[in-house]
Amino acid sequence: MSAPLSCEGLARSFGGVKAVQGVSLALPAGAVTALVGPNGAGKTTVFNLITGNLRADAGTAQVRGKPVIGLKPWQVARLGVARSFQDLRLFTQMNVRDNVLAATERGAWFWQGGDRRARLAAAEAAMEATGLTALAEARAVDLAYAERKFLSMARILAAGADIWLLDEPASGLDLASRLRFGQLLRDARARGVAICLIEHNLDVVVDLADRIAFLDRGLVLAEGAPREIMADPKLAAIYFGDRSHEAAA
Amino acid sequence: MIAYFSNLATLVAIFGILAVTLNFMVGYAGIFSVAHAVFFGLGAYAGAQIALTVAPDPLLACAVAALIAGVLSLCLALPALRVRGEYFVAASLGLQMVALTLFSEVKSLTGGIGGLTNIPRPQVFGVEVSVLPLALLALGLLLWAIHAMANGSFGRTLKAIRDAESAAEALGKPVAVAKALAVAFACAGAGVAGALFALHMSFVNVESFTLEQSVLVMAMMIVGGTGTLFGPLVGAVLLLSLPSALSFLTFIPPTEVGSVQQIIYGLAMTLLMVFRPAGLLGDQTKGKSQA
Repeated sequence: MSAPLSCEGLARSFGGVKAVQGVSLALPAGAVTALVGPNGAGKTTVFNLITGNLRADAGTAQVRGKPVIGLKPWQVARLGVARSFQDLRLFTQMNVRDNVLAATERGAWFWQGGDRRARLAAAEAAMEATGLTALAEARAVDLAYAERKFLSMARILAAGADIWLLDEPASGLDLASRLRFGQLLRDARARGVAICLIEHNLDVVVDLADRIAFLDRGLVLAEGAPREIMADPKLAAIYFGDRSHEAAA
Repeated sequence: MIAYFSNLATLVAIFGILAVTLNFMVGYAGIFSVAHAVFFGLGAYAGAQIALTVAPDPLLACAVAALIAGVLSLCLALPALRVRGEYFVAASLGLQMVALTLFSEVKSLTGGIGGLTNIPRPQVFGVEVSVLPLALLALGLLLWAIHAMANGSFGRTLKAIRDAESAAEALGKPVAVAKALAVAFACAGAGVAGALFALHMSFVNVESFTLEQSVLVMAMMIVGGTGTLFGPLVGAVLLLSLPSALSFLTFIPPTEVGSVQQIIYGLAMTLLMVFRPAGLLGDQTKGKSQA
């Protein structure tokens, strides 16, 4: 079965810095792919290139066979790609319900087409799944940290997308919240959602990921099952900032 | 005395329209324009020309004014789509300055510095009417429309863009369309206020559409409470009735009323921002710094 989202040879430089240099990836449906690598490896840039937040210097990306490079972020989103941001970017002055409801409304006109009841139901279901129902009337800015992370996930759930690009969704969560988050992801995977996860917590990665793509300096150095990648001493050294093997080479 | 209060009420209704429509743009959509008086002016000249050359029909004058101000608001929407925050304030300031020069120079349409005079009184079905009920009706309709939008999906879209534009776009919302619509709606409202102003005063000139006027409307919005439905209207009532109230204080010599008014304005604004930073009707948890 072909992957719902794939990219080939994606590249982007900022001035003299080659942030991403020829990244190719495929996200299969019903699987969690983790992008792992040290800070500055180009993980978030890959997301930004796919979603149209950044223009790619080279390379292609397809969502279900449709080229997406050159499209605007809202056009990519409408193809069924939802993303979260490291800094969450919640609608801070709006309450939880409006944050989630906004994720179900794509029209920019004075009114929305389509089934209003279905949108309300999707928003309620997303709040229920993320444990936010009791906080529906609270403003996003007043939420505790973990609740904000779950609100960010609730928006993605409510958007009804089947490709999720999640940028450090579990960072800073305590164990109980992390377990809840893990269950959300497993449920989505079971529904066939293609999930790509940027994550620094290797416990989370081992627990949730079906595959890992290891990025460093804008290149995919290795791809494979979590145990394989984790067992590679060279990758571990890069991840933990030890580059002595490079000097020796 | 009745004529005096009727005039004051009409101006409050007209400036109320300006303040609530500016608030729609600033408070809900986060587009911080200091050029609202430009669209007030466009509406005033359009309304005056309709009354002078076609018919003194207030509905026609308001419709044409709204259309012209709404369409030309794209001049404001285009920079709003590219820049945010203080950069957009600078862009709208530039528009305000260009427009003021055009208002003074395009004499065939605006009458230049001298303005347009002898604008006929408005008539509905051949009967001369006062502007006050028309202005109150327009204000009521606009408040209703803003209330409906603010609580519906369009208001949610605008607030989402205001709070996190990139996240709104990542959820599939075409941000440019929503912003352009918000600007067009607010500026069309300012155009209606302008047409009513021209019909009420029977005279318009460029003096009414300066940067000071834009700042006054902004002050009304901030004093009352940005992002609230009725706050800007309360601000308009306060800021317009203050000079009148001062003129009743007989112990202030008439020659000094102007400077006393300036001092009271300044003090009131400063104290208000210290004690009620989100405006009189605003949510006070919003304006305070969260250090």
